[in-house]
Amino acid sequence: MEEGLLRIREVSKHFGGVYAVNGVSLDVKEGGICGLVGPNGSGKSTLFNTILGIHRPDGGNIYFNGNCINCLAPHQIYALGLVNAFQLPRLFYQMSVLDNMLVAARGQQGDKLLNSLFLRRKWQEQEKGLIEEALEILELMELDKWAFSLAGELSGGQRKLLEVARALMAKPTLLLLDEPAAGINPVLGRKMFQKLEDLSRNGTTFFIVEHRLEILFEFASWIYVMDRGKTVVGGEPEDISEEPAFYRAYLGEE
Amino acid sequence: MDPLLYVLDLIVFIGIFGILALSLNLEFGFAGLANFGKVAFFLIGAYTYALLSQIGVPFYLCLIAGATLSAAFGLLISLPALRLRADYLAIAILTFGEILRLIVKSESWIAGGDWGISVSPAIAISGGSHRVDVLVNIGLVYFCLLICFVIAQLLANSPYGRVMRAVREDEVAAEALGKNRARYKAQVLMLGSAMAGIAGGLYAQYLQYVLPGMFMPMVTFTVWIMVLLGGPANNWGAVLGAVLVTLFDRGTNIAKDYLTLPIDPSNLQYILFGALIILVLLYRPQGLLKESPIKTKALESVKRERSVVKGKGS
Amino acid sequence: MAVNWAQVFFNSAITGSLYLIGAVGLTLTYGLSGFPNFAHAEFITLGAYIAYSVAAQFGLGPPLALVVAFLCTGIVGFLCYRGVFQVLAKRGATIIHLMVASIALGFVLRYSIGAAWGWEPLYFATVWPTSSLWSRHDIGSIAVTNLWLWLIFAAVALAVTMHFVLVKTKIGKAIRATSSNPELALASGINIQRVIWITWFLGAGLAAIAGVFRGADTRIWPMTGWDMILPMFAVVILGGIGNFYGAIAAAFIVGLAENVGVVALTAMGLSSTYRIGIAFLILIITLILKPQGLAMLFRRG
Repeated sequence: MEEGLLRIREVSKHFGGVYAVNGVSLDVKEGGICGLVGPNGSGKSTLFNTILGIHRPDGGNIYFNGNCINCLAPHQIYALGLVNAFQLPRLFYQMSVLDNMLVAARGQQGDKLLNSLFLRRKWQEQEKGLIEEALEILELMELDKWAFSLAGELSGGQRKLLEVARALMAKPTLLLLDEPAAGINPVLGRKMFQKLEDLSRNGTTFFIVEHRLEILFEFASWIYVMDRGKTVVGGEPEDISEEPAFYRAYLGEE
Repeated sequence: MDPLLYVLDLIVFIGIFGILALSLNLEFGFAGLANFGKVAFFLIGAYTYALLSQIGVPFYLCLIAGATLSAAFGLLISLPALRLRADYLAIAILTFGEILRLIVKSESWIAGGDWGISVSPAIAISGGSHRVDVLVNIGLVYFCLLICFVIAQLLANSPYGRVMRAVREDEVAAEALGKNRARYKAQVLMLGSAMAGIAGGLYAQYLQYVLPGMFMPMVTFTVWIMVLLGGPANNWGAVLGAVLVTLFDRGTNIAKDYLTLPIDPSNLQYILFGALIILVLLYRPQGLLKESPIKTKALESVKRERSVVKGKGS
Repeated sequence: MAVNWAQVFFNSAITGSLYLIGAVGLTLTYGLSGFPNFAHAEFITLGAYIAYSVAAQFGLGPPLALVVAFLCTGIVGFLCYRGVFQVLAKRGATIIHLMVASIALGFVLRYSIGAAWGWEPLYFATVWPTSSLWSRHDIGSIAVTNLWLWLIFAAVALAVTMHFVLVKTKIGKAIRATSSNPELALASGINIQRVIWITWFLGAGLAAIAGVFRGADTRIWPMTGWDMILPMFAVVILGGIGNFYGAIAAAFIVGLAENVGVVALTAMGLSSTYRIGIAFLILIITLILKPQGLAMLFRRG
């Protein structure tokens, strides 16, 4: 079996005796867009939070790029190149859109206490470049006009876009997106996926939970279906859409 | 009392409390840390200064020692409390401050217990009047205030300041974006405590004595009023708050000598302080001055370019 | 030095009873409203003063004075929540703002009390000079006053009553449902607002009772509540925030630790004023080891 970029082995997570994720194993291969679908409450978001270190798994192992990441703190997982965008945007609302982007940038000179005071020249130089990058991504998301507005002033759809944009700013190897197209208009949603597809050609891998199946199936190269805390089936989109297990998961038939 | 001396005294107090307000502004205003035990670090600075000055250590070393010790305690208290929520930190630091005061109160071998100890003047000018002494203190206090202000401004307008604010806004998101929140909080608490330690040293130096009664929890909340009133996450606001609250404090002190009130004025003063905080929180939670946005060279130049483009476009 | 251990354990029960009565309101309002109410200290103080005043003015005996103190302070507690905290919460205040507001409110109350009654300590013995509360017995080697027996009785009665209220009555079930999951409670048709109001009333009223006992045992002055609030926070956090059963266990643990600690402090030649340091130690150890406190021992749906 080919080594995946993200390997999940028998991962479980329960809350007060109720298993939200129950022995999930799956692989996300390098490159392209991998989709994760399933009805509400099937454990997709819990699985994501467990991957990100927000929850500790109760069983099983998670490997990213060959490293076991079960016991790492979220900031250490970020350092390995695994980044996410939250389902409900968690922006820094009292900060400008551009500052939101700049927080996420990797390898900053000036975010250390002493460097920020004594290496001013250095980080100021670096920041110029980062701002350009940030503005490019914002343009991609049609947010550049609001660069200097507070994030709290954005509309719901724009917040969602900024959440994704901010995650892109972190130049992830693997980006986890939890329903990126929810709450934004379908045209923009499709556009966003096109951009993600472009980015995936440049080496970023995406692992996406999405309820808008028509968009996901169009762009994804691989789809996993989750139901009641387990992965029931995985395959290429064309095959999945003919899988009975996929329909069972959604329609709840036995 | 000599009116000029009174004004000079007021100026010293504004300076010392200005430093405290700047330090709390770093912790609460920028990083969102509820330091309810500011007075503990003020006390550490003051007592360190007093004890060292008694054995003849030069004043600047006393100040530095006070700041260092205070910062060390800031780090120590942060260790258990930082992984936790804002309310746990608040309760833990508040208790820490009360216990520290109890220790210097009951252990008279440390610094005279309830009666405190006296502090020798830092710079003795032979034949100088009391006014000259106060002027020397003003110079010292405002020099320190300036340094603290510059540090606070530089930090606030740097990528570090950006992370502080991000941790305040949503620490889970900040952590997911690679920021080690515990480390940032510990650093900010150390830095804030160091500043409070310096303020404590200056306070001891100016009053030339220290005693436990000077370090009641009320001091902490006076500083909180300053920051909340002036404007959290705005260093100018913190200083403005220090000016206004100190003036208010003095004003009511003067007024109580001339007015006959049905209420004992010293009680009334605290009642007004409390009411003031509640009113500010209810009607102007952002304070008098709004949060100052992050300003860096690169951001400013982009902003300028954009306004030029916009101007051409229209 | 011979230590009268029986007395130490009995004193622990007294301290624990006092903390229990005082901390029940603190933990329940903390759990329901989501912030520690520092002004709870002043509810304690206020209760003691109200009881003292009605006793001095109208000659009420201890039971009636206690009832009046309970009701009046309960109303003050409700008004504080309704007038300040509810408004702040509605305007999106953060937990830090709510904590600061509660401290500010505490100052307003404390110094209003100071303005009304002065800062000189008052003694219940002066208003109830002939009461049987003060009479002492010796049970074996333990010195006991009637007041202490009543205090322990009150704590036990409170624990039993609260248990039935929380388990059997509609309002009790609503309190538990709301503190464990507000959204679910809202969805299930519970009037959360009213539940919170009642809890603030009850909590402040119980604080007043603790204040009367404390005042009768020692003295009353405007810092009566503040002198107790920090160990009570240790009780609340050790017991698990919002957890009544945890608070019972924690109150007696903190009571025991303080009284045994004082013996240890005296043996080491240290001042017994450090007993507050014992509560601090419990607080810090809980925060390091198990921030959720004893709550996991008392998982009652």
